[in-house]
Amino acid sequence: MLPHRFQYHRPDNLEQVFELLDRYGDDVAPYAGGTELLLALKARVLRYEHLVDLKRVPGLKGVCESDGQIVIGALSSHFSLATDPIVKRLVPAYAALSDNIANIRVRVSGTIGGNLCFAEPHADPPAMLAALGASLTLRGRDGQRRVAMADFIEGEFTTVRGPAEVLTEVRIPAPAASARYAYCSFGHLERPAVGIAAGYCPERGTPHYRIWAGAIAGRPAQLRSVEDALEGVPPDKLGDVLAEAASAAAQELPAHDDLQGSADYKRHLAAVLTRRAVEQAAGLQPRRKAA
Amino acid sequence: MSEASHRAQPPRRDFFEKVTGSAEFISDVVVPGMLQGRILRSTIPHGRIRNVDVSAALALPGVEAVLTGEDIAGLNNHWGLFLNDRPVIAIDRVRYVGEPVAVVVAVDERTAEDALDLIDVDYETLPFVTDAVEAMAEDAPVLHEKSETLKDFYFKGEAKPVPGTNIFQKYEYAHGDVERAFADAGRVFEDTFSFPMIFHYAMEPHCVVASFADGGLTLWSCGQAPTAIQKVLSRVFDLPLAKIRIITPYVGGGFGGKASVKIDPLVAAAAWKVGRPVRICLSISESMLTCRRLSASITVRTGVRADGTILGKAVRVVMNGGAYADTGPAVAIKAANRAIGPYHVPNLKLEAYAVYTNTVPGAAFRSIGGPQAVWASESQMDIIAGALGIDPVELRYRNMLKPGETVRPDLRPIDVDMAEALGQASQAMSRLDAAGPDAGLMKGVAVGASDPGIMAVAAVLVRLKIDGSVLVISNSVEIGQGIREVLRTFAAELLNQPAEAVYVMTPDTALAPFDWGTGASRSSVMMGMAIEDAAIDIRRQLADMAAAAFGVAAETVSLCPGGIVAGDRQWPFAELLHAHYGIDSGEVIGIGRISPHSRDGRLMQAPLFWETAAGMCGVELDEETGEVRVRRYVSVADVGRVLNRASAEGQDEGAAIQGLGHALSEELVYEDGQPVNASMIDYHVPTIDEVPEDFLTVLIESGTGPGPGGARGMGEGAILPVAPAIANALASRHGIRIRDLPLTPERVWRALQEKKAKP
Repeated sequence: MLPHRFQYHRPDNLEQVFELLDRYGDDVAPYAGGTELLLALKARVLRYEHLVDLKRVPGLKGVCESDGQIVIGALSSHFSLATDPIVKRLVPAYAALSDNIANIRVRVSGTIGGNLCFAEPHADPPAMLAALGASLTLRGRDGQRRVAMADFIEGEFTTVRGPAEVLTEVRIPAPAASARYAYCSFGHLERPAVGIAAGYCPERGTPHYRIWAGAIAGRPAQLRSVEDALEGVPPDKLGDVLAEAASAAAQELPAHDDLQGSADYKRHLAAVLTRRAVEQAAGLQPRRKAA
Repeated sequence: MSEASHRAQPPRRDFFEKVTGSAEFISDVVVPGMLQGRILRSTIPHGRIRNVDVSAALALPGVEAVLTGEDIAGLNNHWGLFLNDRPVIAIDRVRYVGEPVAVVVAVDERTAEDALDLIDVDYETLPFVTDAVEAMAEDAPVLHEKSETLKDFYFKGEAKPVPGTNIFQKYEYAHGDVERAFADAGRVFEDTFSFPMIFHYAMEPHCVVASFADGGLTLWSCGQAPTAIQKVLSRVFDLPLAKIRIITPYVGGGFGGKASVKIDPLVAAAAWKVGRPVRICLSISESMLTCRRLSASITVRTGVRADGTILGKAVRVVMNGGAYADTGPAVAIKAANRAIGPYHVPNLKLEAYAVYTNTVPGAAFRSIGGPQAVWASESQMDIIAGALGIDPVELRYRNMLKPGETVRPDLRPIDVDMAEALGQASQAMSRLDAAGPDAGLMKGVAVGASDPGIMAVAAVLVRLKIDGSVLVISNSVEIGQGIREVLRTFAAELLNQPAEAVYVMTPDTALAPFDWGTGASRSSVMMGMAIEDAAIDIRRQLADMAAAAFGVAAETVSLCPGGIVAGDRQWPFAELLHAHYGIDSGEVIGIGRISPHSRDGRLMQAPLFWETAAGMCGVELDEETGEVRVRRYVSVADVGRVLNRASAEGQDEGAAIQGLGHALSEELVYEDGQPVNASMIDYHVPTIDEVPEDFLTVLIESGTGPGPGGARGMGEGAILPVAPAIANALASRHGIRIRDLPLTPERVWRALQEKKAKP
């Protein structure tokens, strides 16, 4: 199908972007890679009179290190993140995740900012970025604010981004040299049914774990009970503690029956993937190629 | 084998055009003055149309016309292949979500699409049914109150609907006494299997351009059977066949989804209404609402002796045919036949039903009814083997037909060596295992035997020009399978001319003779035979000319590259034709005609040849997620003769990978009368990542087919064994027997859970 007619704007700077967003209000959407937005427009699920293409706005692409943080321009493509030397060096698990999103065409045009702002629940990056403690920079006419990744997505297709705000960057605190992350997702259709991000972060000899579940519900969820159960447990002692805690936590996850699978199956997957992701992060098993 | 097949083959001519982008596909066709049409589709599964208000749509600038059911009162407004059951456009009733209710014709596609939102349809909903078994219940809503069958219309025979019910085809067959055989048998196994609705997913969606001019109708169509479209349009618009012209450029895949007739009458009606050429090109999502494979529930009862010998088999097939019969009546018969397998079954009973439901119309799909049937029968072979403690391969050998033995006494005896094919599959898998040992893979096997429904009606024109170039004119549709290259190869070989000199024309019914259609693995064989006859015709004409012009004995004349030879003398075509016509110009036209009476009537018995396959897989299972991955696959088929190795292997691989989608992920899902995953976002076809790392196609060249050089049809066999082979692999290792497709991770995981619960 074809989208409704819309007016296409291609501003050169953020000021012009804000001006357009302000002028057209509910009738306008920012447009980054288009891999979600254009599909929805073509299916006529969404309709906007105006699209504001952000691709010509300078400074929204690329990765740099600043004050112990990895700063990712929101218009960076998944492909560029999968191959970026800084991302590969400091958060290799996130590079690997980016390398496994959808297919090569989506990875080349789809952007991290677009992915987060569209807030399609069956997506890989949100849980991982939440586990990494990332924050997002939202800029508007009146200035900018920082929102924790954990707070950014409110539910299916909804975020805290205001209509006149633009997500400009994603900041990931550079993990300690001893920390390791892993991401395991699974689904038999185009998108993940469940994805689990896990971090193994020893501090002064005490292991801490960070575990987030994505895709299964409307927004990423922190598996605190598993984190607590594993607190201080060294990798070689994870064994049954991990399996039991993962199963118990998975049972509490909000899930519903859909084409991706029944709720109980998805909770089961969450338990399995939690165990695998934690074990991978803790160095107990080699990274598996996500399906 | 003929030497020709071992000659170095030039690359397929269409590959160059396709790779460089110069190939014209049906969706590229532009006709002067052409408008664009978009279709408004029913949003409800079953209902009466109280009113369609198109006034706002007509008022939109750029909209030229809107076609609705009211417009076609003056036409013969229903059509069909077996049953005259389908309106050109919904008239006063809709029977499935997606049924065309209105067509907007506008200056461009976007305007037409915008206008769809402005049409207001007032429906009165009716009770609906989407499940075939429920549709057979006494209190089920009846979709069609009356049925008009069309005998020998385009397929031989007649459907047998059950009046007053949703059953539009009831088929029965028996030989021997199956109940007595069951009484004599040591064990009788009864198992029921289900097979889902599956979308064809041709890369190019359905597209047609229609134009009325000079008292006739011209269509540029994606159809696989141009002459079937011609016939249906002739009826609908009451036009002579001679005034209807169907042109078929390159088509971007069909797999049966473009067989017989699909959107052609609708597009033609839109052009008829607006009085200008109209193009309608569907989206893939719309093609998903146009046709799909018939889903099926298949119950197989098999009686065996303790040594595994089959004494009797009873098969009951219930197929969900959707809202309109289309070719469903043929699919049901073939599903029954293809459930027999290449086995000796002394007592046999077949029963098949095709049933109307409020779903997308079922249609032909690569090996019609075959994958459904073989899923059931070959899964059950392993169930029997397991219960009797016999190796599954050994059980198959014990019951396998030898060449010349019959599946059914009324069908042609089986003309391939299935035991050899199965043996080749085992050997090929052993070779793969030796090259990359992986003890962890589970192995599964299945075989399939199908009886292609080939009508022996075909013809070709071969025009040999004075300069030695050759034009082959036929209605065989190039749909990606490589038929144009096959026709080129045959013409070159049979006329003894270089392949570079042969050109194959775009099908055009105004120029090419009648042909039944491109499907059922028939074109290489049927057109091959027709070219054989055309070549004989040309040689005879040239010989007569040479006898008159040069005084040689006609029977000594044969063709050589660029000319003729008689004894030790040789003449270029130009010299011969110049002598004959008196000018240095002209051509010789050869005609090849095939009918059931050709080849001394040997083509009359069905099937023309058996199409068979043996498949063996090496599978890996993630027990925690239930994910199945096929790591190794071997596909074996006796194709008689390989005409173009890359194309033949490509067709075999393509069929097997299509079967992999059937096996693992594909299913059109209905909830509350709505298709809920009719888009490529939610419907998963295999990607390159899911293709087995080790895939081996073994093509047996027995030279036993009816085509030139012993060629048989191919391309529909390899799809048959895939799903049961995978399910059999899972059963052999994990003791789980899954009877429903697809083998999604969740379904496999649940089977494992159940198995654990009751050890």
